[in-house]
Amino acid sequence: MIDASRTYPVGVSTQQQGVTDVVVATRLDDVWVTIVWNDPVNLMSYVTHVFQSYFGWSRERAQARMQEVHTEGKSVVSSGGREKMEIDVQAMHSFGLWATMQRSGQ
Amino acid sequence: MRAFEARNGAAVAELDAEERAVVARVIADVGLLLAGEAFGTQREQVETPEEELFRHLRGFEAALSDPEDPAVLRILPNAAPDDREVADEFRRLTEPDLRATKVERLRVIWEALNEDGPEWEVPADEAMSTAAALTDVRLVLAARLGLDTDEDADVLHREIEMAEHAMEAGVEGASSVNPERVWLGMLYQALTWLQESLMTYVMRDDV
Repeated sequence: MIDASRTYPVGVSTQQQGVTDVVVATRLDDVWVTIVWNDPVNLMSYVTHVFQSYFGWSRERAQARMQEVHTEGKSVVSSGGREKMEIDVQAMHSFGLWATMQRSGQ
Repeated sequence: MRAFEARNGAAVAELDAEERAVVARVIADVGLLLAGEAFGTQREQVETPEEELFRHLRGFEAALSDPEDPAVLRILPNAAPDDREVADEFRRLTEPDLRATKVERLRVIWEALNEDGPEWEVPADEAMSTAAALTDVRLVLAARLGLDTDEDADVLHREIEMAEHAMEAGVEGASSVNPERVWLGMLYQALTWLQESLMTYVMRDDV
Protein backbone atom coordinates (compact mmCIF):
# COMPACT_ATOMS: atom_id res chain seq x y z
CA MET A 1 0.00 0.00 0.00
CA ILE A 2 1.07 3.55 -0.35
CA ASP A 3 0.72 6.51 1.93
CA ALA A 4 0.26 9.36 -0.52
CA SER A 5 -0.51 11.63 2.41
CA ARG A 6 3.21 11.60 3.25
CA THR A 7 4.11 13.08 -0.12
CA TYR A 8 1.44 15.73 0.06
CA PRO A 9 0.31 17.88 2.97
CA VAL A 10 -2.48 15.63 4.15
CA GLY A 11 -2.12 14.35 7.69
CA VAL A 12 -3.25 10.86 8.62
CA SER A 13 -2.01 9.46 11.90
CA THR A 14 -1.69 5.71 12.21
CA GLN A 15 -1.69 3.66 15.34
CA GLN A 16 -0.88 0.00 15.71
CA GLN A 17 -3.33 -2.01 17.72
CA GLY A 18 -3.52 -5.75 18.17
CA VAL A 19 -6.95 -7.06 17.35
CA THR A 20 -7.77 -10.73 17.16
CA ASP A 21 -10.65 -12.25 15.23
CA VAL A 22 -13.01 -14.39 17.20
CA VAL A 23 -14.15 -17.39 15.22
CA VAL A 24 -17.60 -18.55 16.16
CA ALA A 25 -18.58 -21.85 14.60
CA THR A 26 -19.35 -25.38 15.60
CA ARG A 27 -17.10 -27.26 13.18
CA LEU A 28 -13.70 -25.99 12.17
CA ASP A 29 -13.99 -27.20 8.57
CA ASP A 30 -17.11 -25.03 8.13
CA VAL A 31 -15.11 -21.93 8.92
CA TRP A 32 -13.68 -19.85 6.11
CA VAL A 33 -11.68 -16.65 6.28
CA THR A 34 -11.33 -13.60 4.07
CA ILE A 35 -7.77 -12.34 3.70
CA VAL A 36 -6.75 -8.92 2.37
CA TRP A 37 -3.25 -8.82 0.85
CA ASN A 38 -0.84 -5.92 0.54
CA ASP A 39 -0.44 -4.31 -2.87
CA PRO A 40 1.57 -1.28 -4.01
CA VAL A 41 -1.43 0.64 -5.36
CA ASN A 42 -4.10 0.96 -2.71
CA LEU A 43 -3.99 4.04 -0.50
CA MET A 44 -3.69 3.57 3.26
CA SER A 45 -6.45 6.12 3.80
CA TYR A 46 -8.74 4.38 1.30
CA VAL A 47 -8.19 0.89 2.77
CA THR A 48 -8.84 2.25 6.26
CA HIS A 49 -12.11 3.83 5.13
CA VAL A 50 -13.20 0.67 3.27
CA PHE A 51 -12.62 -1.36 6.45
CA GLN A 52 -14.54 1.19 8.51
CA SER A 53 -17.49 1.54 6.18
CA TYR A 54 -17.85 -2.13 5.16
CA PHE A 55 -17.05 -3.91 8.44
CA GLY A 56 -18.38 -1.15 10.70
CA TRP A 57 -15.08 -0.84 12.58
CA SER A 58 -13.84 2.21 14.45
CA ARG A 59 -11.18 4.27 12.72
CA GLU A 60 -8.61 3.03 15.24
CA ARG A 61 -9.39 -0.63 14.59
CA ALA A 62 -9.55 -0.14 10.81
CA GLN A 63 -6.17 1.62 10.83
CA ALA A 64 -4.60 -1.15 12.91
CA ARG A 65 -5.80 -3.78 10.44
CA MET A 66 -4.69 -1.68 7.46
CA GLN A 67 -1.23 -1.40 9.09
CA GLU A 68 -1.15 -5.17 9.52
CA VAL A 69 -1.84 -5.64 5.79
CA HIS A 70 0.93 -3.17 5.00
CA THR A 71 3.63 -4.50 7.34
CA GLU A 72 2.76 -8.24 7.51
CA GLY A 73 1.65 -8.48 3.88
CA LYS A 74 -1.86 -9.68 4.74
CA SER A 75 -4.58 -9.67 7.35
CA VAL A 76 -7.59 -11.87 8.08
CA VAL A 77 -10.49 -9.42 7.99
CA SER A 78 -13.49 -11.71 8.47
CA SER A 79 -14.47 -15.31 9.12
CA GLY A 80 -17.61 -17.38 8.78
CA GLY A 81 -19.40 -19.63 6.33
CA ARG A 82 -18.23 -19.96 2.73
CA GLU A 83 -21.19 -18.00 1.31
CA LYS A 84 -20.61 -15.12 3.72
CA MET A 85 -16.94 -15.03 2.75
CA GLU A 86 -17.90 -14.93 -0.93
CA ILE A 87 -19.94 -11.82 -0.16
CA ASP A 88 -17.04 -10.21 1.73
CA VAL A 89 -14.47 -11.03 -0.97
CA GLN A 90 -16.80 -9.71 -3.66
CA ALA A 91 -17.18 -6.47 -1.68
CA MET A 92 -13.39 -6.14 -1.30
CA HIS A 93 -12.94 -6.76 -5.05
CA SER A 94 -15.56 -4.15 -5.86
CA PHE A 95 -13.39 -1.67 -3.90
CA GLY A 96 -10.27 -2.82 -5.75
CA LEU A 97 -8.68 -4.53 -2.74
CA TRP A 98 -6.81 -7.79 -3.31
CA ALA A 99 -8.79 -10.30 -1.24
CA THR A 100 -8.91 -14.10 -1.18
CA MET A 101 -10.85 -16.72 0.77
CA GLN A 102 -9.83 -20.08 2.17
CA ARG A 103 -10.79 -22.62 4.80
CA SER A 104 -9.71 -21.52 8.25
CA GLY A 105 -6.49 -23.17 9.40
CA GLN A 106 -5.18 -23.80 5.87
CA MET B 1 -4.75 20.57 -11.57
CA ARG B 2 -6.26 21.30 -8.16
CA ALA B 3 -6.96 18.56 -5.65
CA PHE B 4 -10.44 17.78 -4.36
CA GLU B 5 -11.75 20.00 -1.61
CA ALA B 6 -15.10 20.40 0.10
CA ARG B 7 -17.28 22.99 -1.61
CA ASN B 8 -21.08 23.40 -1.31
CA GLY B 9 -21.66 19.88 -0.04
CA ALA B 10 -19.56 18.21 -2.73
CA ALA B 11 -15.93 17.38 -3.46
CA VAL B 12 -14.60 19.64 -6.21
CA ALA B 13 -11.32 19.31 -8.12
CA GLU B 14 -10.12 21.46 -10.99
CA LEU B 15 -8.57 20.13 -14.19
CA ASP B 16 -7.70 22.12 -17.28
CA ALA B 17 -9.02 20.98 -20.66
CA GLU B 18 -5.94 18.91 -21.47
CA GLU B 19 -5.93 17.21 -18.05
CA ARG B 20 -9.65 16.42 -18.36
CA ALA B 21 -9.10 14.92 -21.80
CA VAL B 22 -6.24 12.72 -20.57
CA VAL B 23 -8.11 11.48 -17.49
CA ALA B 24 -11.32 10.90 -19.49
CA ARG B 25 -9.32 8.96 -22.06
CA VAL B 26 -7.71 6.61 -19.54
CA ILE B 27 -11.09 6.08 -17.84
CA ALA B 28 -12.65 5.20 -21.19
CA ASP B 29 -9.73 2.82 -21.87
CA VAL B 30 -10.34 0.94 -18.61
CA GLY B 31 -14.08 0.85 -19.40
CA LEU B 32 -13.24 -0.64 -22.78
CA LEU B 33 -10.94 -3.18 -21.14
CA LEU B 34 -13.72 -4.29 -18.75
CA ALA B 35 -16.80 -4.01 -20.93
CA GLY B 36 -15.48 -4.46 -24.45
CA GLU B 37 -17.36 -1.35 -25.52
CA ALA B 38 -16.47 2.32 -25.80
CA PHE B 39 -18.17 5.01 -23.72
CA GLY B 40 -20.05 7.58 -25.76
CA THR B 41 -21.35 5.09 -28.32
CA GLN B 42 -25.06 4.37 -28.39
CA ARG B 43 -24.92 0.60 -28.34
CA GLU B 44 -28.60 0.14 -27.36
CA GLN B 45 -29.84 1.73 -30.57
CA VAL B 46 -27.77 -0.32 -32.98
CA GLU B 47 -27.69 -3.67 -31.23
CA THR B 48 -30.08 -6.38 -32.35
CA PRO B 49 -31.47 -8.86 -29.81
CA GLU B 50 -29.17 -11.50 -31.24
CA GLU B 51 -26.13 -9.29 -30.77
CA GLU B 52 -27.16 -8.55 -27.20
CA LEU B 53 -27.55 -12.26 -26.52
CA PHE B 54 -24.08 -12.94 -27.88
CA ARG B 55 -22.66 -10.16 -25.74
CA HIS B 56 -24.13 -11.79 -22.64
CA LEU B 57 -22.83 -15.18 -23.75
CA ARG B 58 -19.35 -13.71 -24.20
CA GLY B 59 -19.58 -12.25 -20.70
CA PHE B 60 -20.63 -15.63 -19.36
CA GLU B 61 -17.82 -17.44 -21.12
CA ALA B 62 -15.32 -14.89 -19.90
CA ALA B 63 -16.47 -15.47 -16.32
CA LEU B 64 -15.49 -19.15 -16.38
CA SER B 65 -11.76 -18.63 -16.15
CA ASP B 66 -9.22 -16.05 -14.99
CA PRO B 67 -8.83 -13.07 -17.34
CA GLU B 68 -5.74 -13.40 -19.54
CA ASP B 69 -4.84 -9.71 -19.38
CA PRO B 70 -2.85 -9.13 -16.15
CA ALA B 71 -4.42 -5.66 -15.83
CA VAL B 72 -7.93 -7.12 -15.82
CA LEU B 73 -6.76 -9.79 -13.37
CA ARG B 74 -5.71 -6.98 -11.03
CA ILE B 75 -9.24 -5.57 -10.87
CA LEU B 76 -10.97 -8.98 -11.00
CA PRO B 77 -8.48 -11.08 -9.02
CA ASN B 78 -8.50 -14.79 -8.35
CA ALA B 79 -10.39 -15.28 -5.06
CA ALA B 80 -8.77 -18.60 -4.14
CA PRO B 81 -5.36 -19.16 -5.78
CA ASP B 82 -4.90 -22.56 -4.10
CA ASP B 83 -8.36 -23.92 -4.83
CA ARG B 84 -9.42 -24.04 -8.48
CA GLU B 85 -12.99 -25.12 -7.69
CA VAL B 86 -13.58 -22.30 -5.20
CA ALA B 87 -11.94 -19.74 -7.51
CA ASP B 88 -14.02 -20.77 -10.54
CA GLU B 89 -17.25 -20.85 -8.54
CA PHE B 90 -16.54 -17.39 -7.15
CA ARG B 91 -15.80 -16.00 -10.60
CA ARG B 92 -18.92 -17.56 -12.12
CA LEU B 93 -21.11 -16.11 -9.34
CA THR B 94 -19.60 -12.64 -8.99
CA GLU B 95 -17.71 -11.53 -12.09
CA PRO B 96 -20.63 -10.31 -14.24
CA ASP B 97 -21.89 -8.12 -11.36
CA LEU B 98 -18.41 -6.86 -10.50
CA ARG B 99 -17.71 -5.94 -14.12
CA ALA B 100 -21.05 -4.13 -14.42
CA THR B 101 -20.49 -2.21 -11.16
CA LYS B 102 -16.99 -1.14 -12.17
CA VAL B 103 -17.98 -0.11 -15.70
CA GLU B 104 -20.93 1.93 -14.43
CA ARG B 105 -18.73 3.81 -11.93
CA LEU B 106 -16.25 4.61 -14.69
CA ARG B 107 -19.05 5.77 -16.98
CA VAL B 108 -20.30 8.25 -14.34
CA ILE B 109 -16.83 9.81 -14.05
CA TRP B 110 -16.34 9.83 -17.81
CA GLU B 111 -19.60 11.72 -18.27
CA ALA B 112 -18.68 14.24 -15.53
CA LEU B 113 -15.33 14.89 -17.20
CA ASN B 114 -17.02 15.50 -20.54
CA GLU B 115 -19.00 18.42 -19.15
CA ASP B 116 -17.74 21.93 -19.82
CA GLY B 117 -15.60 23.90 -17.39
CA PRO B 118 -12.57 23.15 -15.24
CA GLU B 119 -14.50 21.94 -12.19
CA TRP B 120 -14.91 18.23 -11.53
CA GLU B 121 -17.69 18.10 -8.96
CA VAL B 122 -18.32 14.81 -7.15
CA PRO B 123 -21.49 14.75 -4.99
CA ALA B 124 -20.89 13.51 -1.43
CA ASP B 125 -22.83 10.28 -2.03
CA GLU B 126 -20.70 9.48 -5.12
CA ALA B 127 -17.33 10.15 -3.48
CA MET B 128 -16.59 6.53 -2.51
CA SER B 129 -17.69 5.09 -5.86
CA THR B 130 -15.46 7.68 -7.55
CA ALA B 131 -12.54 6.71 -5.29
CA ALA B 132 -13.18 3.04 -6.10
CA ALA B 133 -13.18 3.79 -9.85
CA LEU B 134 -9.92 5.74 -9.48
CA THR B 135 -8.50 2.68 -7.70
CA ASP B 136 -9.45 0.46 -10.65
CA VAL B 137 -7.83 2.87 -13.11
CA ARG B 138 -4.67 3.03 -10.97
CA LEU B 139 -4.59 -0.80 -10.72
CA VAL B 140 -4.63 -1.03 -14.52
CA LEU B 141 -1.91 1.61 -14.88
CA ALA B 142 0.14 -0.16 -12.18
CA ALA B 143 -0.14 -3.45 -14.09
CA ARG B 144 1.05 -1.73 -17.28
CA LEU B 145 3.92 -0.16 -15.29
CA GLY B 146 4.86 -3.50 -13.70
CA LEU B 147 4.23 -2.31 -10.13
CA ASP B 148 3.98 -5.57 -8.19
CA THR B 149 5.59 -4.56 -4.90
CA ASP B 150 5.96 -1.45 -2.74
CA GLU B 151 9.62 -1.37 -3.87
CA ASP B 152 8.56 -1.24 -7.55
CA ALA B 153 6.46 1.83 -6.72
CA ASP B 154 9.47 3.48 -5.01
CA VAL B 155 11.64 2.80 -8.08
CA LEU B 156 9.02 4.36 -10.38
CA HIS B 157 8.91 7.42 -8.13
CA ARG B 158 12.70 7.83 -8.40
CA GLU B 159 12.64 7.29 -12.18
CA ILE B 160 10.08 10.07 -12.59
CA GLU B 161 12.10 12.42 -10.38
CA MET B 162 15.21 11.76 -12.49
CA ALA B 163 13.28 12.38 -15.71
CA GLU B 164 11.84 15.61 -14.28
CA HIS B 165 15.30 16.83 -13.27
CA ALA B 166 16.57 16.04 -16.77
CA MET B 167 13.64 17.95 -18.30
CA GLU B 168 14.19 20.94 -16.00
CA ALA B 169 17.87 21.00 -16.95
CA GLY B 170 16.78 21.00 -20.58
CA VAL B 171 18.82 17.95 -21.45
CA GLU B 172 17.06 16.01 -24.18
CA GLY B 173 17.39 12.27 -23.77
CA ALA B 174 19.51 12.62 -20.65
CA SER B 175 17.18 10.36 -18.74
CA SER B 176 17.58 6.64 -19.36
CA VAL B 177 13.89 6.11 -18.59
CA ASN B 178 11.48 5.32 -21.41
CA PRO B 179 9.39 8.52 -22.03
CA GLU B 180 6.16 6.53 -22.32
CA ARG B 181 6.84 4.98 -18.91
CA VAL B 182 7.48 8.42 -17.43
CA TRP B 183 4.27 9.75 -18.94
CA LEU B 184 2.17 6.82 -17.64
CA GLY B 185 3.91 7.06 -14.29
CA MET B 186 3.12 10.77 -13.98
CA LEU B 187 -0.51 10.09 -14.86
CA TYR B 188 -0.55 7.35 -12.20
CA GLN B 189 0.89 9.76 -9.62
CA ALA B 190 -1.59 12.50 -10.52
CA LEU B 191 -4.52 10.09 -10.09
CA THR B 192 -3.02 8.89 -6.79
CA TRP B 193 -2.82 12.49 -5.59
CA LEU B 194 -6.41 13.20 -6.69
CA GLN B 195 -7.69 10.06 -4.96
CA GLU B 196 -5.84 10.91 -1.74
CA SER B 197 -7.45 14.36 -1.69
CA LEU B 198 -10.84 12.76 -2.33
CA MET B 199 -10.24 10.42 0.63
CA THR B 200 -9.44 13.39 2.85
CA TYR B 201 -12.87 14.72 1.89
CA VAL B 202 -14.59 11.35 2.45
CA MET B 203 -12.90 10.80 5.82
CA ARG B 204 -13.35 14.34 7.15
CA ASP B 205 -15.84 13.13 9.76
CA ASP B 206 -14.55 9.59 10.38
CA VAL B 207 -13.97 8.67 14.02
